Amino acid sequence: MPWMKVAMKVANDFMTEQILNLGVDLGTSRSSVSSSNGVRQAVESYVGWPSDMVARKVLRKDVLIGREAIDNRLMVDLYRPLERGLIKEGSQQDALAVRELLRHLVSLAGATPDRHDLKIQAVVGVPAEALRVNKQQLREAMQGIVDSLMIVSEPFAVAYGLEALTNALIIDVGAGTCDFCVMNGRYPTEDDQRTLTIAGDYVDAHLHRLIAARYPEASVSQHMARNWKERFSFVGSPPEIIEVTAPVQGRPTQFDITDQMKQACEGLLPAVTETMLDLISRVDPDFQERVRENVILSGGTGLIRSFGLALQGALDQIGGGRVRVVADPFHVGSDGGLALAMDAPASEWERLAA
Amino acid sequence: MANIERFKKRLIRQAVQTNLDSIEGRRPRPASYRSHTLVVAARALFFILVPAALFASTIVVSNMASDWRGNKAEIVSVQLEKPTLWPPQRSRRVVPSSTASNTFSIPEPIDPAVLPLALRTIILDPGHGGDNLGTVAPEGLVEKEVTLDIAERARDLLQQGSYTVLMTRDSDQSLSLRERAEFANKNRGDIFVSIHVNWIANRELRGVETFYLGSTDDPYLEALAARENQQSGYSLADLRQILQQVYAGVRQEESRRLGESVQEALFASLYSVSNTVRNRGVKSAPFGVLIWTEMPAILAEVSCVSNRVEARLLMTPIYRQYLAESIVEGIETYSRQLSQVYQVADAVDEGSNEGSKRLHD
Repeated sequence: MPWMKVAMKVANDFMTEQILNLGVDLGTSRSSVSSSNGVRQAVESYVGWPSDMVARKVLRKDVLIGREAIDNRLMVDLYRPLERGLIKEGSQQDALAVRELLRHLVSLAGATPDRHDLKIQAVVGVPAEALRVNKQQLREAMQGIVDSLMIVSEPFAVAYGLEALTNALIIDVGAGTCDFCVMNGRYPTEDDQRTLTIAGDYVDAHLHRLIAARYPEASVSQHMARNWKERFSFVGSPPEIIEVTAPVQGRPTQFDITDQMKQACEGLLPAVTETMLDLISRVDPDFQERVRENVILSGGTGLIRSFGLALQGALDQIGGGRVRVVADPFHVGSDGGLALAMDAPASEWERLAA
Repeated sequence: MANIERFKKRLIRQAVQTNLDSIEGRRPRPASYRSHTLVVAARALFFILVPAALFASTIVVSNMASDWRGNKAEIVSVQLEKPTLWPPQRSRRVVPSSTASNTFSIPEPIDPAVLPLALRTIILDPGHGGDNLGTVAPEGLVEKEVTLDIAERARDLLQQGSYTVLMTRDSDQSLSLRERAEFANKNRGDIFVSIHVNWIANRELRGVETFYLGSTDDPYLEALAARENQQSGYSLADLRQILQQVYAGVRQEESRRLGESVQEALFASLYSVSNTVRNRGVKSAPFGVLIWTEMPAILAEVSCVSNRVEARLLMTPIYRQYLAESIVEGIETYSRQLSQVYQVADAVDEGSNEGSKRLHD
């Protein structure tokens, strides 16, 4: 009978419209996609158009996305179209950039424009407190790129992917926003979620300011500060002396930025801690202990060394708890979106036709 | 595990509803969990308070009446009847008073091992036939033809396995449900397998489900049973009444086991073809044809013509053969399980003999 199974599978696939399920995490700094065909990709959320005819001739492309756009930033009009995980308001070009970014993500997942046989169903994660108008903008940006679209809050997608569906607090610290979501056995409402607009970008800017104040002779860009943060960030005791190289009047010079890094990263802690404790205090008292024991930290900025430990220390104020850090924060949101996309029955997808 | 799946489904429904609310410009709904809890609490309160209030008012009125008559009758004991309205019962047809007034004790379940059932004669029942077309798919597929073809294929396969296989019909003829059951009873079938294909309102769904005899409160199953029973001449209420007499015991248990074997084999086969196929499970329902048969009996909805892909596949002989092989696999699994029961029973016998020998020694 095995041959018959294979034959039936082939016949079934032939007669079935191919469905491609996608989970998309639109991040201010980095966006990722996970696809039901096994593709998992992440790109920097940058889009660039060649600035003139010469640049177009050199680059041989109409639009550049991600790392390619950053590496050629001198030849392109560079856009970082997602502010706090949402389409920047009031800029037509930013809206176009988001569309290009989404199209790129979908094509990375295997849905190239020539695949007309594919029916694409996507779940996109957005900041927890995204307004209706933001979601509408996103829907418009996705029109024609996917067949059906479900928009969910980013921490919910994370929770779903990790199956942390009850008595859990998800803290998703990205570049643009820090999203909180208490999972207590239902789809999270506004009361269960919180979004802070200080996150990774805030650390970058703070670090940049602190370095500029300490070493005014050094020529440091925000881009350099971000790279250093991604490599050396920490809270608490410094794990090492952080020495970086920056030009002083054109000459590469070494600087110790350990204190500045600590100060910049720890600047994030008070707001995150306060929000975490506040949300836990609003949970039904019978379940607070369980939630305290099930705090999950995700997102790229959540990778700051000892950040999870610092939050766990803060939980001691209210009886102690446990904070776990997600191992792969760059895909956990898109993986959760994909899980949602695959679990949603066809009838529900029909209702969400884009 | 099943709880998590149910929970996930609920979350997805809520996520979709939130999306639709957002698209249509509606405000986000308040937490359904809370509102549901409140509704439940309010209902519970209602169903507790109303009977209590009615009872209390009865006492007050009777006391007043007693006082008015000058009698000083004393209430010796007051016993509130336990409210039986929670959870709220769905409206049911009224059982005739003759039956309702009789009370029967629930029979003790019997261990199937004490009634060994050798599997020799299998009755296959291709659903519908003659004037009764069954489900008709837009693709032109007619249920009565599909069921007959699958049954014939299953018969050929089973006969290779030295079973005696009889079919309630081997041509396009009309048969009532009672005639089918009588055929099975008269020929002393060991098991009865009725083959049908399903129609699911949501045409995106693909799934298999198997039924054995029992009651149901599921409106979907009631509708399905009513559809399949429409030629019997009995109403669902009549069938329920009949069901009371044949309900418990080995036959039902064996039917369930047979249903599980067939369902498992069918689902495993179909799922390996497409992971969109859903296991709709083994369920009890009062199908007439299962009531009148006197042996373990199931009704298998082996496919659903409402789904376009499934209908197209069903039009190919190879797919029907595939389904027939799956049904046969399920029956053979059940047969093997039966022989295992005997082996266990034999081992127990030998053990007890040895024990008695030792005692004698």
